[in-house]
Amino acid sequence: MFLTPEIITLTVLNFLFVIFATIAFVNALKIVLYYNADATTSYQYALEKKSYLSATIIKFIFYVKIPLFIFFVYTLDSLSNLLPGAMCAAGVVSATSYGTPLLFLKILNLYIFAFWIVLNDEDMKYEGQPYLKKKFLLFCVAYFLLIAEIVLESVMFGAMDINSVVDCCGAIFSTTSQTYLSEILATSPTVLLGLFYGVFLLMIVSYIFKNRYIYSFLNILFVLISLITLIAFFGTYIYEQPTHHCPFCLLQSDYNYIGYFLYIVLFVGTFFGFTLGIIEFDDQELQKRFHISLLYNSLYVAVVSYYPLLYYVKNGVWL
Amino acid sequence: MIEIKNVSKIYDGNIVALQDINLRFKEGELIILKGVSGSGKSTILSLIAGLSKPTLGEITVDKKKISKLPDHFAASYRRDNIGIVFQKYNLIPTLSVTENVLLPLFPLNLPRELMKEKSSNVLQKFSIEHKANVIVKNLSGGEQQRVAIARANINDPKIILADEPTANLDEKLSLEFIEILRELKSKKRTIIIATHDPLFFDLDIVDRTVSIEHGKLL
Amino acid sequence: MNKINFYLLEYAYAYIKRNKNKNIFIVTVFTLLVALLSSVFFITTTVEHEMKERISYKPDIVVQAYKAGMQSSVDSALLDKLLEINGISSGHLRVEGTYDFRAKNRLFYLYGVAPFEDQEDPFIEQILQNEALNSSQMLVSDSVKESMHQAYYDKYFNFIKPDGSLQKVFIKKSFPVHKRIELQNLILLDQDTLRKIFGYSENEGSDIALSVANKNELDFITSKIRLMLPNAKVVSKNDLNVMYEKLFDYDSGVFLSLFVIAIFTFFIIIYDKANGLSSEEKREIGILKAIGWRVEDVLHAKFYEAAIISFFSFFTGLLIAFIYVFIFKAPLLGEIFMHNTLLDIHTFNLDFYLELSYTLLIFLLSVPVYIAATLIPSWRVATLDADEVMR
Repeated sequence: MFLTPEIITLTVLNFLFVIFATIAFVNALKIVLYYNADATTSYQYALEKKSYLSATIIKFIFYVKIPLFIFFVYTLDSLSNLLPGAMCAAGVVSATSYGTPLLFLKILNLYIFAFWIVLNDEDMKYEGQPYLKKKFLLFCVAYFLLIAEIVLESVMFGAMDINSVVDCCGAIFSTTSQTYLSEILATSPTVLLGLFYGVFLLMIVSYIFKNRYIYSFLNILFVLISLITLIAFFGTYIYEQPTHHCPFCLLQSDYNYIGYFLYIVLFVGTFFGFTLGIIEFDDQELQKRFHISLLYNSLYVAVVSYYPLLYYVKNGVWL
Repeated sequence: MIEIKNVSKIYDGNIVALQDINLRFKEGELIILKGVSGSGKSTILSLIAGLSKPTLGEITVDKKKISKLPDHFAASYRRDNIGIVFQKYNLIPTLSVTENVLLPLFPLNLPRELMKEKSSNVLQKFSIEHKANVIVKNLSGGEQQRVAIARANINDPKIILADEPTANLDEKLSLEFIEILRELKSKKRTIIIATHDPLFFDLDIVDRTVSIEHGKLL
Repeated sequence: MNKINFYLLEYAYAYIKRNKNKNIFIVTVFTLLVALLSSVFFITTTVEHEMKERISYKPDIVVQAYKAGMQSSVDSALLDKLLEINGISSGHLRVEGTYDFRAKNRLFYLYGVAPFEDQEDPFIEQILQNEALNSSQMLVSDSVKESMHQAYYDKYFNFIKPDGSLQKVFIKKSFPVHKRIELQNLILLDQDTLRKIFGYSENEGSDIALSVANKNELDFITSKIRLMLPNAKVVSKNDLNVMYEKLFDYDSGVFLSLFVIAIFTFFIIIYDKANGLSSEEKREIGILKAIGWRVEDVLHAKFYEAAIISFFSFFTGLLIAFIYVFIFKAPLLGEIFMHNTLLDIHTFNLDFYLELSYTLLIFLLSVPVYIAATLIPSWRVATLDADEVMR
């Protein structure tokens, strides 16, 4: 394995995460097992104090994970210069069998940690602390996912070989190969776009009726269909090339780094939408979250639709 | 409005600070807790302030059970309902009078105008507005005392707790302090003072004197 | 994320000032660490960037002949063979090399120019457009002219040929190198005259420069040539880029590994310092809690404290590195990182060049590490039992 400065940085911070997350985990476990709000023993008071420590550590990890994830994506992109055949992060991700699961796991963990923080904030609003044990139980699960992610990341970087050729996104995302991905990509754009805008419209409707369960469910559908249509359809208009389906090249300077913007907006919007369905917020909080979610999701739809429209206006035809 | 029912406080190592205390305080009363150091009177104040929790028993303030509140709720309760005057004032010497007085409200992130309003109100009430921007360590003992009391009153608390407030004061300042107490009492505050200063024992404004020895009421 | 609480921020700032001595020590150490790390990154990335620019002026592919494992001259017949390869758009035989001017201990770089030949390097192209050369003239850089002048050669210069005889060449004019300081030893002269100086025959040259029509095919064509000429050294622009990138990455990687040790030590120092609280400080926290601050509020204030210190140190460290590298041109450190045998730091401009990604990297290695070191001590402080204050 080669030690580029980026990989060293990721390793140092991952190491920090492991240490602190383990401390938080041990405390969380104790709380799940022994916490008793009615007890007046000094052990109980110590546990109450420890709950603050775990919460602080979890918040720290989450807020550092965000710039670190962006940095991770940037690292993948920069590694594409060293791996023969790779021209963007897609090649690096596919260079090992760990790349894709690692990416999914990282995004999943970001969602879980964000969710934990939301849950924690809600929990602290009520004297009875209704989510106390639940949130620490959740963290116990999240801890193992975090460790899995870090281990996977180290293994992936260790397994990268600068001497073996990798695929570039043209090969991975082509419509002529035999994978599931190519089947999805080959589906008629009318169907995909119909689903995309359809789900979005349904979201607006459920927003108007303030039905949080349906809205939350729609957000899950929305994030999936958005990613699919981004790769299959909208991406090609950003690249102005009908065969360029890569979700990673968007992150490069050639396209003004629009990828970062789109992904962040999409994830924020759907995250807020999704949590609406799981946590019982009070009215004011609920309104706020509905607004934020719809705003970000609409922003995503607007920006992503802009590209094909712009192309049509400029050229008079579709791709 | 303050009810202490069957309260015991036992620290690690089986140190019994309080044993089966039962007390009731009415709104607007001025109560003296009398006893030597280590008798447990500071512990009672601590419990009423929500700074510690009883090992046994229950404390109710204004119909609200405060003994089992989680820390962040206990702190909010304390901030909104309790004003504490310490023996050594416990002001932050390098901050100004205004900053010291507003210190309890810092975490609330209130708008500046509101903060200014609150601080000038309370500084006026205790006659130190003219020193609003002076750094506390440059004040005289009496002035610092008034700042400490002003800080305790910033949120218009219903209950004032004072722990040996006159222990470090000369007679003149002690008497000044008692005058301030008189004023506070006239505003219907419930005032509980833990002290063994004889100046308080035959005071007219004192409604009740409670004696404590070795953690038990006498 | 909630709004910034400016009151807590002010309190944190006042708190820092109250503990001046301890904090000045921390800020100084932290700033120096950031400055060191940033300097190294600034130097390597700027040099790498300049290097890449220089490489862009080179020919797409350079082919050198090797005999008996040593570099030897190239025959023009080889050029004809190479031009037949599909994808090569043009090529020419180059005559170029170094000349050791012993008297002034200087290595001149002699570059032979043929009439009507396109130059890859725009700088050289520009010079030649302004001044034509006949076979007895040469154009030299300003600093070469100065060197020759010091040896009393003003109008002409005598090159010593391999057989010991002299070749007189007249100095037509000198040119400034401006930003291209790697060319400060450049002499341009007629190709055939240079052949005489180097002792090459009419069909010989030092290497062959080739141009490739489709840049995407560069690697492919390079490997084709390698297969065709197993004894030659074939180097493409891409090869040079990757080689230098790996070199600089390796450099920074080695440095960074050592630096990580420093960070780790720093972490321990901060943890230790933050943990040792005087009774004064403990008392103050007790007071805050007694007047109604929650544990979260104290933690919040402590976080602001850590943020102020780390952000201040971070920006100051960056500024110091900036001044050190770009204004003072990195004395000492620059030489260490430039592998004096390979590259001479003084041949680089070190113009301002900042990559955001490196700034983020330096940030990630400093600020979160510092804040992490203060997490547990801050928590300990925030959860102190306040009822001792009542006594």
